Amino acid sequence: MQDGRDMEEEQTVRELSHDEFDPNGTLALIAVYFVILLAMWVFMYFVEFLGNELTVVG
Amino acid sequence: MNIHSYEKIWLVVAILLIVGFISTVTYGATAVGIDMVDDEGGTVNASALDEDPRFSEPRVEQVGDNEYEAYVIAQQYIFNPDPIRVPANSTVTFFITSPDVIHGFEIVGTNANTMVIPGQVAKITVNFNDPGEYGIVCHEYCGSGHHTMEGSVVVQPEDEFEPGGDE
Ligand SMILES: [Cu+2]
Repeated sequence: MQDGRDMEEEQTVRELSHDEFDPNGTLALIAVYFVILLAMWVFMYFVEFLGNELTVVG
Repeated sequence: MNIHSYEKIWLVVAILLIVGFISTVTYGATAVGIDMVDDEGGTVNASALDEDPRFSEPRVEQVGDNEYEAYVIAQQYIFNPDPIRVPANSTVTFFITSPDVIHGFEIVGTNANTMVIPGQVAKITVNFNDPGEYGIVCHEYCGSGHHTMEGSVVVQPEDEFEPGGDE
């Protein structure tokens, strides 16, 4: 455990410009969500819906 | 305006996703030929179905080479005719209406599914390939006997089928 004084001494301020801020974790998380979304879309429409024979055609 | 590169990726991918959804549905409607249930079936006097040329006698009728029309009444708490007999390898158009309250018509486990509204004729066309039997359930709460309201569609081998419906 650190006491308050240590923390104050170690604080450094790092300036990031707009383009230097890269939230890679967020990017990865959203990429994973996106892949799940795509897989569910394909499964739901092409497998579950179109494959569920007797479809209304008129 | 300064847009972060990750944000640009997201914008492009999100637009592609929407375009993808729309083209999927378009593909289903054009290439696969999936149709929506609409008001094409017209209307009918719900309190005088017995005088209606289409519904006075619920039945399956041959209208073309492999084309049939089924006139079905959904009422508390049965489907008439029951079973609905159709031949294999046929195209069947169901015309369904109700003399009392709103019912549902779902060929169980398939996409053939519509509401049945008194005064309104629901029209759905379906292709039957192999012989077999399907259940029909009412999926709109229609009264105390709703949970018992069921029917069936029997798809008979072509050589065993005789038009006329009920036996
Ligand atoms: Cu019902």
